[in-house]
Parts: sequence; C-alpha cells; structure tokens
Amino acid sequence: MRRSDLGEFEELVLLSVAVLTPSAYSVAVAEHLELQTGKTITTGAVHSALQRLEKKGYLESAMGEASKARGGRRKRLFTVTMLGSKMLHSVKDIRDNLWSSMGPQSLPNLSTN
Amino acid sequence: MKNTPPKWMDRIIEWICPDHLLEEVIGDLHERYLSSENPKAQFRANGRYFREVLYYARVTAFRRKNKSKPSTYFYTMLNHYLLTARRNLFRNKAFSFINVMGLALGITSFLLIMLWVNDERSIDNFHENQKNLYSLYVTKELQGEVTGNYYISEYEFYNDFANNPRTFADELKPVFPEIKYISSYATTYELPWGYPTTFRIGDVSHKLKGAIAGGDFFKMFSYDIIIGDGENALTEINSVVISEYMASLYFDSPQEAIGQTIRYENTRDLIIKAVFKNVDAKSSLKFDYLISWENLKDNTGVTSDNKWPTFIQLKENVNPIEFEKKLAKYHEPFYNENFGKLTLGIQPYGDRYLKSGFENGKPVKGRIEYVRIFSGVAVFILIIACINFTNLTTARSLKRAKEVGVRKVIGSTKSYLMGQFLGESIFLTTIATGLSLVAVNLVLPAFNAFTDKAMYLPFDSLKGWLFIFGLILTAGFLSGCYPALFLSSLKPSKVLKGLTRFTRSAQLLRKGLAVFQFSLSILLLIATLVVSKQTSYIKNANLGYDKENVIYVRVEGDLVEKYKIFKQALLTKPGIAMVDRSSEAPHDMGFEIAGPFIWEGMEEGRQMSFKPTSVGYDFLKMMNLEVVDGRGFDKNVPTDSAAFMINETALAEMGLESPLGKRISAWDKQGRIIGILKDYHTHSLHEPIKPLIVDVKEDLTFGIIMIKSLPGQTTTALRSLEEVSAEINPNYPLNYQFMDLEYAALYKNEQVISSLSNVFAVLAILISCLGLLGLAMFSAEQRIKEIGIRKVLGASVSSIIGLFSKDFIQLVGLSFIIAMPISLYLMQEWLASFAYRIALSWWIFALTGVLALLIAFGTVAYQTFKAAKTNPIDNLRVE
Repeated sequence: MRRSDLGEFEELVLLSVAVLTPSAYSVAVAEHLELQTGKTITTGAVHSALQRLEKKGYLESAMGEASKARGGRRKRLFTVTMLGSKMLHSVKDIRDNLWSSMGPQSLPNLSTN
Repeated sequence: MKNTPPKWMDRIIEWICPDHLLEEVIGDLHERYLSSENPKAQFRANGRYFREVLYYARVTAFRRKNKSKPSTYFYTMLNHYLLTARRNLFRNKAFSFINVMGLALGITSFLLIMLWVNDERSIDNFHENQKNLYSLYVTKELQGEVTGNYYISEYEFYNDFANNPRTFADELKPVFPEIKYISSYATTYELPWGYPTTFRIGDVSHKLKGAIAGGDFFKMFSYDIIIGDGENALTEINSVVISEYMASLYFDSPQEAIGQTIRYENTRDLIIKAVFKNVDAKSSLKFDYLISWENLKDNTGVTSDNKWPTFIQLKENVNPIEFEKKLAKYHEPFYNENFGKLTLGIQPYGDRYLKSGFENGKPVKGRIEYVRIFSGVAVFILIIACINFTNLTTARSLKRAKEVGVRKVIGSTKSYLMGQFLGESIFLTTIATGLSLVAVNLVLPAFNAFTDKAMYLPFDSLKGWLFIFGLILTAGFLSGCYPALFLSSLKPSKVLKGLTRFTRSAQLLRKGLAVFQFSLSILLLIATLVVSKQTSYIKNANLGYDKENVIYVRVEGDLVEKYKIFKQALLTKPGIAMVDRSSEAPHDMGFEIAGPFIWEGMEEGRQMSFKPTSVGYDFLKMMNLEVVDGRGFDKNVPTDSAAFMINETALAEMGLESPLGKRISAWDKQGRIIGILKDYHTHSLHEPIKPLIVDVKEDLTFGIIMIKSLPGQTTTALRSLEEVSAEINPNYPLNYQFMDLEYAALYKNEQVISSLSNVFAVLAILISCLGLLGLAMFSAEQRIKEIGIRKVLGASVSSIIGLFSKDFIQLVGLSFIIAMPISLYLMQEWLASFAYRIALSWWIFALTGVLALLIAFGTVAYQTFKAAKTNPIDNLRVE
C-alpha cells in the first residue's frame, strides 16, 4: 500500500472521523481538528478531504438529520470503512515500529532546561 | 444581530457549488457561522464566512464533473419539456398565436431588410482584385466653395478645350510606379445623360447601352470573358467587346461574333474582339458593349463630353494612404485661379456605389445613408417583436407559476428551469423563423421586382445558415431571457399558495418595455408620414413646366439634317399637338459652365456658372413656361435668332437692375436679353434651381426632339412617330422616352424608400398592437372577477372600459412624448437632403399621436368590452 494514498491532512481527518463516530460530519471534524491543532480549519478544506477519502473508499457516508442551526438542511455523516480502518492501522503500525526501533539519543532533546 | 449569514454570500455558494452537494455544504456553512465563538462580532464572522465560501470555489472547481446524472434522465426530461411546451402552446391558443405571429412578422421584416442591405453592400464587391481597386475622384476648391466628383474633365486642368483628349490614364501611369493598371471609363455621352446607341449588321439594328473603356479594363475587373482575348481586346482602335445578350441579337452563337464587323451609329465600323457574360445586378457599371478607348483619342470616332471616371489598380504592396498623399500633390503645378484648386483622391472601388455623394469634396454620402437607416429599422422591428414576446410571456407567467413551484418542490434547480424556459422561447422562435422563411420566400419575387434586384434566401451558403441560426438564438434569447429569469426565481413557498400579483419592479419593467416598443413604433409612423408626404410633394410639385403628354427622342442620324421636314411631317399626323426641340430635357439640365460669359454691366473679374440651353421657337409654349418680364422667342422677329432669355435665378445672381435689352456674349454668340423666364426646376428637387441661359438654335446636331401628344391620344401619337421616324431616319431604330416617367425616375430611390417605410411602419405598429392586445387580454382575464363585482354593483360597460383603458392610454401617451423629439430631429436631418422640402408641420405629430392612441384604445377597449359584456355570474360563481 503506497504511502501517497493518504495525505497528512487526510490522515488527520480520517482519524477525527473515527474519533467522532457516529456523529462525524464536516463541521464537527473541522472543529475537532481546530481544537487539536490550534489552527484555523475551514469546513471547505475538511469537506473536500472527506470527499476525497470517500472516493478512495476509506469513508462512507449517509445523510443525517436536519437541525435548526442548519436552516433545516441535513448533514452528511461519515463512518470509516473497513479499508479505511486497515489503512489507519497500517500507518499506525509503521509509525509504532519506527518509534520503537529508535535509539535513546536519536532525537535531539526537546526539554532544554 | 441577524443569525444568518449575508444572502449574497449564499448566492455565491449556490452558484459555484454543484447541486448535489449544495444542501450539505450550505448547512455546514450556516452551522459554522452560528457557532462562531463571539456572536456579537458579526463583522469578523462574516469575514470568516466569506473565506469559507471562497474555499469552495477551489474545492468545487475540479469537482464539478463528479455530478453524474444518468443520461437517460436527460432525454426523459427533454421529452417532458417538449410535452409541457406543447401543452402550454395549445392551451393558450390566442396568446401563442399572438406570440408566434408577432415574432414571425418581426423576423420576416428583419430578414427582408437584411437581404436588401446585404445586397446593397455586396454591389461591386465581386472583383478578384477588389482590395487593390480604387476609383479616382477630384476635389475642387473655387472661391471658398468645395465640391467633388468622379468626373474629371481635363479642360478644367489645362484651361483649353483640347482637341486631342488626354486622359488620366495617360497622364498618371508614367508618373506613378505604384499604379499597376489604370482605365478610364466613359458612357457614350454626348450630353450628360447616357443614351442607347445604334449598332447595325446588315438589316439588323438595335439600340444598346454601353461604354468606352481603357485597355486595362478587363485586366482589372472580373467580368467573365466567354470567348476571345478579353485582356487585350480593348487596346486597338476600332475594337469592341460585346455581351452575350448583344451577341445573341446579331448572331446564332458567341463564337460566330468574333472577328465580325459591326456598324456603330452609322458612322464607323467596329471589330468584335471578345464576348463577355452579361453583366449582372452585382455590378454598378452596366454595359452591353465596351469600345476601345483608342477611338476616343482618335477623336473622329466616338463622341464624349470629356468627363469620365477613372479606375486604378494599385500594385500589391502599395500603401494606399501614402499613394493618395503623393497623388494629391500632382496638380499643384496646374493651379489656375479661374478654375480653382484641384486635388485628386482615391476611394476603394467597392465603396463607390454606396458612397457616391460628395460632402466637402469627399465621397461619404449616398445610398449608404439608406443602408444605415434601414439596418436601424430592421433592428428596431426585431426588438419590438422580441419585447412583445417578453411582455406577453411574463404576463402569462402568472399562469405557469404553479408549474414552477411544483417543479422546484420535486427537485428541479434554477438552472434547469432557466434552461427549460429559454429552450421554450428558442423553440417558439424557431417556429416563428420557419414561418418567416416561408413568408419571405413568398414575398421575395414581389420585393425583387419592386426594388429591382435579384435577391434570394441564402440557403446555399454556410454563412446564410449560420446567420439564420444566429438569428434564432439571438431573438430567442433576447425575448426569453427575462421571463426565464423571472419564472425560475419564483419561490415555491409563495407560488404554491397562489401568486396573484406581480412585484412592482416586474410591473414597471413590463410597462417600460411597452413604452419603449411603442416609442419605436410611433417613431416609425412619424417617419413614414413625413417620407410619404415629401415624396408626394416631389411628385406633384409645381415644376414650372408641363411634363404631361410629352414624348421625346434624340436628335441622331438623318434627323440632324432633316429636323424641319421631320417636324412638318409629324404635325400632319394624327395625335400630335406640338413638336419642338431643345438641347436638353428640362428635368435634366446637364452642363453647368463657368465659361466665357460677359454681360453688359458685369463687374470686372466676375465668374459665374450658367446652364446653357438651346431651344426651338415653340419651346416656351410647349412646356407652358411663364415669362415674367419681356417676351418669348418669336419666329417673326429676325433678331431673335441671336436673342437670349434668362431665368429669375440667373437674373438675381447677375444683379441686373433692368435686364431687358442688355447685351450678352456667350461663347460664340452675342445678343440681347429679350425676356425673363419664371424659374422652373432644372433638376430633381434635391438640387436648387440653377441660373439658366436660353437661346434659339434649330440647327443643333444634338439634343432632343419633344413631341406633345393630344391628351388621351398617346398611342396614336406614338404610331405617328413610328411611321415618320421609319421614313425619315430609317437607319436608327426609334427610341423614345416619356418625360413624366423619366422625371419620376429621378426619384426612384425615394419611391423605394417611401414604399418600404410604409410597409415596415405598418408592420411595426401591427406588431406593437399585437403586443398591446396580448397585454389587454391578459389584464382583462386577470381582473375578470373585479369586472364581475363592479358590474354587480352597477358599473356600466363604458365605465369599465374607461377604467381599464386608462393605464394603456397613459403608456402610449408617454411613448409619444418620448418619440416626438427624436423623430423631429431625425426627420429634419433627412429632409435636409432636399433643396425643396415640406415643412414639418405640427399636425403630422398630432395625427400620429391621435392615431397611436386610437389604435391602442381600440385594441384595449375591444378586449375589455368582451370581458365586460360577459355575465358576471359566469365569472363569480367559482371561488
């Protein structure tokens, strides 16, 4: 599985969806990510990432309920697919492997005081 | 604080976002907007919202193709739309009829006018060397007066009546290396009007019209040579090139004609060198034969009045502007203060037909003005028709509002609805265009005969089809875009509850369009009235002479010697009232000569131009010319052969106190003034009356013989003329003209313009009234319940009509107020081209106003009357 199939932002969005399931939709994901990263994230960016992920098969979606805040419009709710789950797991495995095989002095020390 | 984001931002997102994503995206955006941490900071929230919206432009730009609608839907939808369109068309037969007929009428007018305009523009543009062909013109500046023309008479340059005519072709070609070919072209003028000349082989003789042309003529112009060496045919003396038609008059085939000898005017034998294809309507030069220019130089041959146009073909790489600058300097050395300053100029040859009128010495006027006017009229009429369509469709849209609502609820989007309604209007325009094409085809033969052209619908060219296709799209879009916009923007929530009234702006727009349309119609109507009044003024103007019952023939052949015998013989025949001669026809006085005129009491160095005319003794009586002072010529007074008469204009310009008995020397003749002629029109009424000097010469070798027939005996007189002519002048076939017809021919342009504008103004009014009728029908239908209630409460039919007509009358009144000053200005401009013209009297405008009001009132009142007459029970029962 090629690494390029999942961008960094996509990975974050995918993870957020997993965190927020069953009420993962673009606004919730955007807000969650803003909270986690401390950066401004537009729903548009999230929306396009969600669409890309869905197209790649990592997500699936269904229309959810309407709410007053949305002017009576429904939202699109996302859940991670089996494929998405596999992808996330494989990414995590690679990272875990890398972290665990790292020597104690390999990284510069961050706490400088 | 409002808790929704600004509407216009939503619009942007609606516009950029694919439909299938729209709901979730807007929902997201709105939710996000509301969840802004500080609800008071609306400005910041808006800014942030805007950034989010813009982000979607990026996201969706490459996402749009994702919208995958099954293609079978498309055809189902199309079918469905067609079905709806058809149902709507047939449900409201009256409206549909008005709509389609109005458009068809408009498009028919548009197509006819455009055909005419296109034909006018295409004249003289068929030559292969087109872009290098130019005609020479000359600008003359004399005593501050600037004139210009195509005719360059060389005595004006050299101040001598050359016995050996040199032409510009001879003069310029050696001097300017830029010139590839140059050719003079002279119609066989002896006098300024051309006349048919006689060609004879054996016993066969015919009169034909043609010209004398230089050796390069066929190298420059693309007239097709059927047989013979056309390119070199005109280089030798005594050679002639004839048309296929002319060949057919004398020979069985064009091949047979080559090398044959043909007798010209019974004076000279010419050898036929080539035969060309008949000159068609696309050429402004018309000729059945061309004689070699060498004959003119020979001077014993063909006669001419020394005035002729010259055409030039420049070499491929020559810059015409630079060349013209060089050319303009050519005559500086020949400057002569008696004859003024002359400057040569060139004009693209293709422009010569449309721009033959000179203004300040430049050829800029002429038929081009009519082409422009009619192009404008065509567009006007099309716009009127489109506005009709727009107005009617919008009015009717109330009826279709529910359809829109239902479609929207089912899930149709705005763009689909726009497409549907635009498609419908383009569909209707296509039907209307189809009808128009049929109509144009039907009236085209009559239109051709009337305008003297050979136009046809361009079904054979891609360009023609593209034009028609473009017309359908343009007209369909113009007339359909507002209704489509209006209908597709209706809100289902409102519409389904029942939309009964238009918004103010929609009403205003409809009224505005109606006013615009009616203003145009009134403008056309006023223009028509003025044009037809001016035309009839010209036709019936008191010319100062009597042109009725006068036939004239040219003095030629044996008539030169035997004029007196001819006259005597004719007078003994039945049907003839009088016979006399003149050097020129009174309606077409050619020469104007600033020649050597000297009169008693003339100031030193005075230059004055006259039109010299030589007549017979009975001329004044025959033409019913009035003598205001002194007396006319008298056969019994021997000195009258040397006497002169002048007209009032000449008298005024000469500034003589007591003219009678004053001596005049004109050319070779000296004599006294014996009488003053009351002014008569020497030309068409476009031109002012010119100073005239008249003497008696019964032995002129040229001119015309006029025969006045007894009233109602024209046929008898013609038979007598034929007999006498065959007897006395057997070598020349008789060729006669009717003076009143020739006079009318001077106004051919105006005649055509007048009749055309009559037709098109009526059409414009008709189309506008169709529109008004539609609006009135609609309004009556809309307010049918109101009418019912009013009737129940006791209103009379007439009071209801009054109430309903008021609105429309106001619209028409406003249109009139707008149209009046514009038409006043335009008509004054047009009339300025006539030296003698009608005054723009107030009643023309008043009449138009009343007429427009009456027509409008009639249209509306009839509709309302119909509605008001119905039994209120029928309309009030249902609710």
